[in-house]
This record gives sequence, C-alpha cells and structure tokens, in this order.
Amino acid sequence: MLRGFYTAASGMLTQQRRTEMLTNNMANANTPGYKADQSSVRSFPEMLLNRIADETIPNGNEKKVPSFAQVGSLNTGVYIQETNPLFKQGDIKQTDLKTDLALVHGEMPIDEETGVAGALFFTVQNGNGDVRYTRNGNFTLDGEGYLTTSGGYYVLDENNERIQLDNDQFTVSDNGVILQDAAQVAQIGIAYSNDPAGQLVKEGDGLFSADAELTNAYDEDDVFFTIKQGYIESSNVDAAQTMTEMLSVYRSFEANQKVLQAYDQSLNKTVNEVGKIG
Amino acid sequence: MNRTMIAASNTLGQLQKQIDVISNNMANVETTGFKRGEASFTDLLVQQLNNQPNQAAEVGRLTPLGIRQGNGAKIGQIQNVQSQGSLKTTNRDLDVAFTKENLYFMIGVEEGNVIRLSRDGAFYLSPNGNENMLVTADGHTVLDENGNDIVIEGDIKEIQISDEGILKAITTDGGEQTFNLGVVSVQKPQFLEKLGDNLYGLPDNYDGLGVTADDVLTELTGALRTDISMKQGALESSNVDLSKEMTDLITAQRMYQFQSRSITMADQMLGLVNSIR
Repeated sequence: MLRGFYTAASGMLTQQRRTEMLTNNMANANTPGYKADQSSVRSFPEMLLNRIADETIPNGNEKKVPSFAQVGSLNTGVYIQETNPLFKQGDIKQTDLKTDLALVHGEMPIDEETGVAGALFFTVQNGNGDVRYTRNGNFTLDGEGYLTTSGGYYVLDENNERIQLDNDQFTVSDNGVILQDAAQVAQIGIAYSNDPAGQLVKEGDGLFSADAELTNAYDEDDVFFTIKQGYIESSNVDAAQTMTEMLSVYRSFEANQKVLQAYDQSLNKTVNEVGKIG
Repeated sequence: MNRTMIAASNTLGQLQKQIDVISNNMANVETTGFKRGEASFTDLLVQQLNNQPNQAAEVGRLTPLGIRQGNGAKIGQIQNVQSQGSLKTTNRDLDVAFTKENLYFMIGVEEGNVIRLSRDGAFYLSPNGNENMLVTADGHTVLDENGNDIVIEGDIKEIQISDEGILKAITTDGGEQTFNLGVVSVQKPQFLEKLGDNLYGLPDNYDGLGVTADDVLTELTGALRTDISMKQGALESSNVDLSKEMTDLITAQRMYQFQSRSITMADQMLGLVNSIR
C-alpha cells in the first residue's frame, strides 16, 4: 500500500485539532485569568522497514543481495500529544470594582528538571463541595454575602472556609487579608503548585482541578506574590501570535490535502493505467 | 471541523450580548442616577478527549493523560457598577442627589404595593385638590421612612431637603410640615435586579434563594439616618464613562472579527476536504 496516504490524512486531522484549540484561545482572549493552551504535536511511533526477499542480480555473476536488510525507519502519522496550558502571568487591568481581585506573581521558584516556574491560584469550592482552583478574580457577593466567582463557586479563605462579608465595602491588602470596618475578616486562600502543567487539569468556567490538594502559598518561603483589589488579570492569549499560528496551521492543512491528492493520483494510475489493454 | 465552528459561533453570540450591554450603557450616558453594567467573560465547558490511552507510549508528556479542548467563551456575569456619578447642579428645589454610594430612595409602585429602589432624585409634586404628593418623573410615589406616601397639605411656598433626608415644606400660611424621606442602604447591590425606568428591585424568587430582604438592604431609620448623605438642588449623573465604553466596544468588535475569521477558516478547510476529489 501507499504508506503516506494515511500519514497525510493524520496530518490533516492534527491541524484541524490545532485549529480548534487556537479558536478556543482566541475566543478567550478577553476572559479574565484565562491561560492559553499550547499544543505539542508528535509523530506516531517509528517503525523499521525491512526488505524481505533474497534477490539475485541478473548480471551473470550470480551476485545476491542479502535478505532481511533494514531499509530504515519511518513514521506513519502524526497526532496532538497534549494540550498544555501556559501559566504565564496575564496583564493587569483596572476595573474599580471592589470585588475584583488580581493575583500577581512575584518571584517564583523554577523547577530544575523542567525549567517551568510554579503558579498560584485562588481556591474555590464547586457545587459538590470539592476544591477547585482559578485565576479568574472577577468575584461578586451573593445574596447571603458570600464571596463567589462569576459562576457561583464559593471563594475560600486560607483555612478552606467560605468567606462571608456584610457588604462590598471591604479592602483587601497586598497579602490577601480582607478588612471590613477595620476588622480582619479572613485571608484569601492562595494555592501554590510547583508543577502547574502536571498537576492541574482545565475544567471550563475558569476552573482547574487537581488530583491532590495544592499547598498553601502563604507557607512557602520562596514564593512571592501580591493581590490587587480593583484589578483583574487579563487573559494571557497573544492575539497576533494566535492569528499567525492559525494561518500557518491552515497552510499545513492545505499542504497535507495536496499530498493526499497526489497519492490519489498515483492510485488512479495504478488502478486504471498500469496494464491497460488496447 | 464542527468544533471550530461551534466554539466560534458560541462566542459570537456571547460577544453580541456584551455589545448589547455596552450599547445600553452608552444610551444611558445622560440618564440621571444610571449605574453602568459590566459584562465579563469566562471560558465555556472543557471536554477531555482520550486520544492516547496507553501511558507507556507517551514519552515526555508534561500534562495528565488525555487532551482537553474548550468550546469558546461565555459571559460569566454582568455586574452593576455602583460607583458614584458626578453631581450636576440644577438649583431646582425638588432635585436631590445622593453623595454616597449604595443609598437608594424608596419608591412605591402600584403592582401589589411593592417597594422599588431608585437613585434618580428628580422629583415632582402631583397636585390633588389642596394636597400635593411627592412623585418621580414617571408618577410613582416617593415614600417616607415608614413606607407611606408623602402628601403635603396646603399652598407650598418653599421646600427644603436637608443633607440627612428630611423634607421640610413651608406653606404660604407659615405652617411647616416635615417628612423623613425613605432611604435604604444596599449591602449586596449585585443581588438587585434592574427593572428599567431607573428602578431596582429584589428578584421575584429571592425567598426561594434563601435570602431575606434584610440580607440585601437596610432601611435607614432612627439612628441609622445619620448615614444618609444627599444634596438638594443637584442631580447625580450617570456613571458611564463614554471613552471606556468606546474602548470596550472596539475590543468587542475586534473579538467578533476574530471569531468570524475562525469560522471562515474552518469553512475553507471544509472546502479543501471537499476538493480532495
């Protein structure tokens, strides 16, 4: 068979999936705290080609070509291995809403093995009472005075308790202490992950989940951050880069389609022209 | 292919809503006591596709197994921004403006005698024989601190409204009548519903949400009346900042273009698929 036929098709599928991912990034270029996805594309496992027949060269010398010689290796396809959120800090935008909080990374420890910096998150609680993490600090007060995310998830303090406030006239200091009427109400819970890509899984609605609970950022000595009230962190999607990538992905899709057509033409010749009679 | 188109068209619909909010803000840039809304986004549901179930074959992966794909963005919430609008002097006796955030007048509306809230302090007198009732521009009654209509009797010579919300009417015969204007302070403004006509109210189902009116607002009576701060002869302008709205509109429109572009691109890719043969 023509081995590259399906390779070209898998190339098209891969580029299609990358387009989906890039479109989602672009859709969230305006979403507070959104972390852009990046794709890593990987070829299918290599396979080794062997020649199997033992051939005699018809030149009178009876010279033989050895059997089972290796021709070389070949990949027969490509796929998206993973989508990897980029946990880089987004820009800070002023909103003047007291319930908007932005988490700003200071100095972060960098993992020696992967070279990836740690990341910080607000701790929230979903409908089932499970802990989730978010960077979207566009919070609000519900009717009972609980501080919640825009999706209604409770924002937790450093002891994983819900935060209840009398009204929206409160101040949050740089280190997350909430003051209302000059009295300390709570300290916003901040979770730290030293391997955000490996530990956190995107769930939608701005939330990330983790298998094991993340550590408390206030207990980490070498983690520095500030919390800014009246600001939100913008999405870290780079529109220009995303657009460029979309264009190149499109061209790659087109090239694979051309290859597929070329294979089809070869097949056409094999089937309809080789051994034509008359 | 559909995923690209679906994600993009999901987002287009939500962007349209954001533009609706912006245009409503811009339309009310001159509305007395108007509080602008601000739409903010969050990402839509993320689906996990298990494209390679065999962990051993996945060398060098950084993330947990499976790939996760989002479906675009949605509006997370539309917040009411309560910031104080600037004061415009009108020198009209029946114009009052709050000079502090989160204070609202109590307004009586016919429908089942429910109480509504408003920041619009442009009041009028509605004459009825020898009596004058204090009403809003739409004819709804302005209530006193006990929730009763404010009815002034006799020929009015002068009306004074103090900074703490005491209305004093002096009649031509030298008589004096005082009323305490009904004022509430709203603790959880995001819980209020915008009802149009410059009115706010509690949502119909607030009981079912486990919330009482006292959780959301406090009626300022007795000693609490010292919290009131208003000014006679002035009106509160809308807190819409036109240049901010314009910037938001431009951003939203560009986002709209990006999403349309994604749909075009997805369509062209479908075209390529169709032209393989």
